[in-house]
Amino acid sequence: MAETLLWVLPLVPTVTALLMLTTRDRRLLSALDVGGSAVLVALTLVLAGEVAAGGPRALGFLRVDDLGLVFLLLLVVLTLAVSIYTVGWLGEAVAVGNMKAESLRSYFALVHAFVATMVVTVLADNLGVLWIAMEGTTITSAILIGYHGHHHGLEAAWKYIIVTTIGISFGLFGTVLVYAAYAAAVPVAGGAGALSWSAIMQVAPTLDPGIVRIGFIFVMIGYGTKAGLAPMHLWLPDAHSQAPTPVSALLSGVLIKCALLGIIRFQTIAAAACGPAFPTQVLLVFGLTSVVVATPFILAQHDIKRLLGYHSVEHVGIVALGLGFGGPVGTYGALLHVVNHGVTKALAFFAAGTAIARYGSRDMRVIRGLLAVAPIGATLLMLAALSLAGVPPFSIFVSELMVLRAGIGDRHWLAVAIFLAMVVVILAGLLHHAGSMAFGDPPVAAGRQREARSPLLGMALLAAIMILAGLTIPASIDGILRRATEIVVD
Amino acid sequence: MSAETVHTVIDDLGALLLFTMILIVAASQIYRAIYAVAAQSFLIAVAGAVLAASTGNADLWVIAGVTLAVKAVVLPWVLHRVVQRMNVRREVEPVIPVAATLALTVVVVVMSFQLSATLGAVGRAITGNALPVGIALTLLGVLVMATQRTALTQMVGLFASENGIFFTAMAVTQGMPLIIEIGVILDVILAALVMAIMVLRVRSTVDADIADLDELRG
Repeated sequence: MAETLLWVLPLVPTVTALLMLTTRDRRLLSALDVGGSAVLVALTLVLAGEVAAGGPRALGFLRVDDLGLVFLLLLVVLTLAVSIYTVGWLGEAVAVGNMKAESLRSYFALVHAFVATMVVTVLADNLGVLWIAMEGTTITSAILIGYHGHHHGLEAAWKYIIVTTIGISFGLFGTVLVYAAYAAAVPVAGGAGALSWSAIMQVAPTLDPGIVRIGFIFVMIGYGTKAGLAPMHLWLPDAHSQAPTPVSALLSGVLIKCALLGIIRFQTIAAAACGPAFPTQVLLVFGLTSVVVATPFILAQHDIKRLLGYHSVEHVGIVALGLGFGGPVGTYGALLHVVNHGVTKALAFFAAGTAIARYGSRDMRVIRGLLAVAPIGATLLMLAALSLAGVPPFSIFVSELMVLRAGIGDRHWLAVAIFLAMVVVILAGLLHHAGSMAFGDPPVAAGRQREARSPLLGMALLAAIMILAGLTIPASIDGILRRATEIVVD
Repeated sequence: MSAETVHTVIDDLGALLLFTMILIVAASQIYRAIYAVAAQSFLIAVAGAVLAASTGNADLWVIAGVTLAVKAVVLPWVLHRVVQRMNVRREVEPVIPVAATLALTVVVVVMSFQLSATLGAVGRAITGNALPVGIALTLLGVLVMATQRTALTQMVGLFASENGIFFTAMAVTQGMPLIIEIGVILDVILAALVMAIMVLRVRSTVDADIADLDELRG
């Protein structure tokens, strides 16, 4: 049952995408969108139950363990939230002329194709399939980023496809090198089981450390590009700011997390083959670089979506730091941070998207007095900003604290000091930006229409998860995170 | 074929591959870069055939055939068509002088061989000098993409990079699983098509090279 589900999951968004191509009716498309996402959530919950009861399942080159489940749950929940948000967002976008009514079906179909490729990256056991699906996400999302057709959008899409494709070819090279090490260690490799992560993990301690080391660096650069780690993050602020808002949320909330999962898979191999010190070093270097590089851009930013993009660079850096500090606390903190940041950042993009529609500008100097014209949206934006800044009692505070605790426990004093300094500076910068948007007198040009229901519903779903996760982590989620941590740490 | 002959042939092909790479780096016209990358893909297909004949691995025949059809014929043809459609006059625009790029090329090649020499045990897993040549091609492809300002040369650099990966992957003793290689080639085709569409779309709307757009910063 669970094994079949593994193959049904990526098929759900695929079939949804194909069905969407058969109609032009906007209501029907939205219904398919929400329906497909809801089915995906339901099936994932069933799968999660099976895995909790009977451990990891595998069929062919797909496999689900608790580590993959963390990312899968984040993916499907955000997809559902995006679908609900899109219903109302689309009405607005079509009215303004940002989206053309006649080409909507290809937009919807691409979004679901994008989701399907991400489902495969999360479920892939075969490292080659992981790579293929990852490149698939690039192709589908590149079209979506340039979807508005404006030349800024096309510029961002070009930069994205070139930078990530070249980055990811480094990832393929790293995969080939790890495979070469595996083929050298196990003479009768080849065939269907070759390149399987679980098979490689069984012999990982016997792999040649020299070649795995080079392979891991290639993978780190490759998947790190896709994850938005500095200095390979150049595509990220452009793509996040130019993409349609629902796509920005998916990019920042899920896609860069899928790339992190790829890095974690290779990190476990590298830790077993060359000892944990080596991947730790690499992850710390990239993590710190990301946190430091993102800070000045966050402070000086005027474009709200670029701000959120640079902010994602910082948070991916924090996840890398957590993985680098390692141990049960650091890894658990990093995985929790993946979930927290995904949910919160998607909420922030949603809230920013509705504010942008109201003011007709992405410039934070224009968006003033949001609280006066859209009280609910402004409250949600403030909540998201407070959470992103790492203020208690929100969920990101908890995971950042765990990462910090792991760093102190491991006595990485310099890394901890830099991390703390940057987090404090970003906290100040973010609160300044958010405060100036929410308060003050709104400009005359600001739209004063009532707040639409569907975007708010999508946002409320995420806000509820965000606030709950800050107060308590449910036992079932905690169990998944604990078992996932064991997979990485052992 | 004896193992030593294969070794020699692969090393010779590696030298030719590096030579085509230098042609790409130094190309003064986009057509020359396209022909050079087509020749390079052809050499990769030959390498695949040689390895297939020597190891008896039937999968490698398929991979060699697909590489020949897709990367040596179809993709260069697509690029060629795009160049004609765009009717470009200014063709290759290096950011830094070609002489400097060539000097960097030498550095990259020497470094790749140096790096591979430090790996003793791997020699058994990968035939001949396929590893250093593969690393050099991959890095040089990136160099081309970084030092050229036109969209089409960036695509050529990308294909050269992929060629480097394929060369190494083929030479791994057991060969990569067929299904993976086919998947990778499919992805490359799709990516190339999407890129070609974007290039033409920008050309038709704002009459500029897509790689030249640089209004997004900060």
